[in-house]
Amino acid sequence: MDRMVQDFDDKPALPLWLGVAAALAMMVHLYLIFMWVPTEATMGIVQRLFYFHVPAAVVQFTACFVGGIAAILYLVKRDYRYDDLSLAANETVVVFGMVNIGLGMLWAKPIWGIWWTWDARLTSSFLLLFLYAAYLVIRPAAPVEHRGMVCAVVCILGMADVPLVYLSNRLFRTQHPSPVLGGGPDSGLAPKMLATLFFGMFTMLLLWWCVLKVRRRVARLERAAADLTRRAHELDDLRRY
Amino acid sequence: MENLSWLFWGYAVAWLLIFGYLFWIAQKERTLRRKIAELQETIEDRWKQKKG
Repeated sequence: MDRMVQDFDDKPALPLWLGVAAALAMMVHLYLIFMWVPTEATMGIVQRLFYFHVPAAVVQFTACFVGGIAAILYLVKRDYRYDDLSLAANETVVVFGMVNIGLGMLWAKPIWGIWWTWDARLTSSFLLLFLYAAYLVIRPAAPVEHRGMVCAVVCILGMADVPLVYLSNRLFRTQHPSPVLGGGPDSGLAPKMLATLFFGMFTMLLLWWCVLKVRRRVARLERAAADLTRRAHELDDLRRY
Repeated sequence: MENLSWLFWGYAVAWLLIFGYLFWIAQKERTLRRKIAELQETIEDRWKQKKG
């Protein structure tokens, strides 16, 4: 019972300082995007979507690896805390993946004239999002005794797709622009743009860390509710006999 | 200032998704806490009935 009491304690899931730090960083990031960074010469003001689009992708990739490694650790150690972390991280893959793809589409329409095209980058990104959306559907449907294995397999597939997404515009000709960082002699960003991008990545990772902690606590509560439901049923059965 | 509406909608969609998700988590936590409190009460009642 002690373990269960720990599972639904009243301690805040998120330390106050972390929430405040994330909110402040986000405000600074928005100031940098809208007031500080210069407007890009070719695309104009809509290019400012870049400072949210790329950090969302960075968070999505990080969440894939955190969720995947946690799923594997759960299989090895059978500690439910890893399973909770994996679920929380994998759910954020879907949320930040939707932010990434949504922003990309709203950027593509005025610049490319189309919302979407099935090039290597966009297709592999869609596949990644689809895989993790499938994970969220499969997970509750999988039998409890096989759930860890099923989830780990999906996570491993997801982690394998991340390098493919990252390298897709280096390996193939794509509608998506070639990489601006480490993409050869013609790539690169103005110093203010680079600073805004890196600050955006830091901010988005901080926001994700907060979301992850809150979601992980809800996963613990779900487990506690399931445990209590099972105990209530067991007591019912005992009463009958 | 061309394409300003695309910029607006881009950030609007991003924040709606993030805040929508946070709101959904908060709702879920509230529901679960209520359910746990009810289950604890039920279990305590059944223990009392069993002992009595």
